[in-house]
Amino acid sequence: MLLEVEDLHIAYGDIEAVSGVSFGLEQGELVSIIGANGAGKTSILNALMGVVGVKKGRIMFAGKEITRLPAFRRARSGMRIVPERARIFPRLTVHENLLVGAYGLRKKIDLDSRLKWLYGLFPILEKRLGQPASTMSGGEQQQLAIARALISSPGLLLVDEVSMGLMPKLVDGVFDLLYRLNREEGLTILLVEQNAVASLEISGRAYVLETGSLVHQGPADKLAQDPRIREVYLGH
Amino acid sequence: MHLFIEQLLNGIAMGSIYALVTLGLALVYGILRILHVAHAAIYTVGAYVGLAVFKFTGSLWLGFGGAMVFCSVLGVAIERLVYYPLLKYPPYVPLIGSIAVMLGIEELCRLVAGPYILTFPARLPFAAVHLGSVTISSTLMAVYAITALVLAVLWYITSRTEMGLAMRATSQDMAIADAMGINSHQVVSATFVLGSSIAAVAGVLVGIYYNQVYPTMGAVPAYKTLALIVVGGMGSVPGAVIASLLLGVAETLLIGYAQIPLPRDALAFIAMIAVLMWRSEGLLGSK
Repeated sequence: MLLEVEDLHIAYGDIEAVSGVSFGLEQGELVSIIGANGAGKTSILNALMGVVGVKKGRIMFAGKEITRLPAFRRARSGMRIVPERARIFPRLTVHENLLVGAYGLRKKIDLDSRLKWLYGLFPILEKRLGQPASTMSGGEQQQLAIARALISSPGLLLVDEVSMGLMPKLVDGVFDLLYRLNREEGLTILLVEQNAVASLEISGRAYVLETGSLVHQGPADKLAQDPRIREVYLGH
Repeated sequence: MHLFIEQLLNGIAMGSIYALVTLGLALVYGILRILHVAHAAIYTVGAYVGLAVFKFTGSLWLGFGGAMVFCSVLGVAIERLVYYPLLKYPPYVPLIGSIAVMLGIEELCRLVAGPYILTFPARLPFAAVHLGSVTISSTLMAVYAITALVLAVLWYITSRTEMGLAMRATSQDMAIADAMGINSHQVVSATFVLGSSIAAVAGVLVGIYYNQVYPTMGAVPAYKTLALIVVGGMGSVPGAVIASLLLGVAETLLIGYAQIPLPRDALAFIAMIAVLMWRSEGLLGSK
């Protein structure tokens, strides 16, 4: 397993946001965790990245325990996040945002060819290179956040609510891109989403999170057919 | 006219020195959102260490170098031992810690070096410049040249190096910078090294400029630089430099030349109050 999570508990003060979640990802999988707002999806992703602390449990990544590792060490071992609401660096230019994604890797990766590849995926970024990132629209910022994560050739991509606040057309584009990155480039992706329809469509497997616990899991197409899930998350 | 130009030149020198001290404060505020009052104590220590090394070795450059190294270590020590453990509390808690450190270092200087004004009998090896009837003294030339050099180096580091990029990213979103592989704690320490060594340079320069080094020489800069980062825009380094230069010039021209009957040190606060009333984001700050 590339990523293995055992009995993960996350708490903010006395309030437990995630209580005893276990799941895993094989190399090359695209897995999503779907659930309503406040179910604890973002907490799980932030705990995987090391941005929030873990109260109890164990996280293994690429055969090593990383539960207590600081975020920058996880990033350097090949984990990258596309954070909720993009969180690009507003006062850095688009180009500088991309360079931060490649921090410490300029000697290891072929920066020019990575940039070229990203401009192919996101033509808008090349047009906006010298502009402060804060001047871009929400959808463009989301694209920048994805590009910033991809520039490092991550081993595992964590994607947090990428559909939030985007126009439906853009959502399709982003999900299509994630699908292609997974199938064509073999990128392992963990997707956390409120948009169950779109994420189940592109995922191989999925988990359903309700108030801090995983209540269903299975192949995405089976879950999409499950009447209990259809009623709550797919709206019919 | 002659007097006016001389006062203007003095004002720019004064402003340059303010800028050197304020820079560190702006850098630290930018990255940790802490009012690093103890920065002025680091500046005092810089003057003392520079003087001691100069007396011991006879070399002013070793004096500058020694002061920069010592102050860098002191700055990082304050960051690791005082600020870092207090970061999880509201910002006034590290501020109180900072004031305590400031007073503690002042007292230490008094204990070690004595409650006297020491002289700094060094000559800065810069040639005086004559422009028509106006003479720019070697000390003024030294202040200009050293400030320009510090600003150029700082500009280069922050805008042209990967460490500088990491510093700017960390100051905008520390958690995400970390998630991109940046060891943000190391970046914070590097910021303290940078700010503290610049303060050391300022301390030595001021010691020579006024030929005075004394334990409370940081007291006035401590609050004046606070006013300056507000005027410049909290955490804005270019703003801090511009505000400092303006204040230096305004102080010498308005109080010294135009003889407005106000205490010189009041100007910084009048400017701060004006900024807070009419432009609370400061000259170059963002809302």
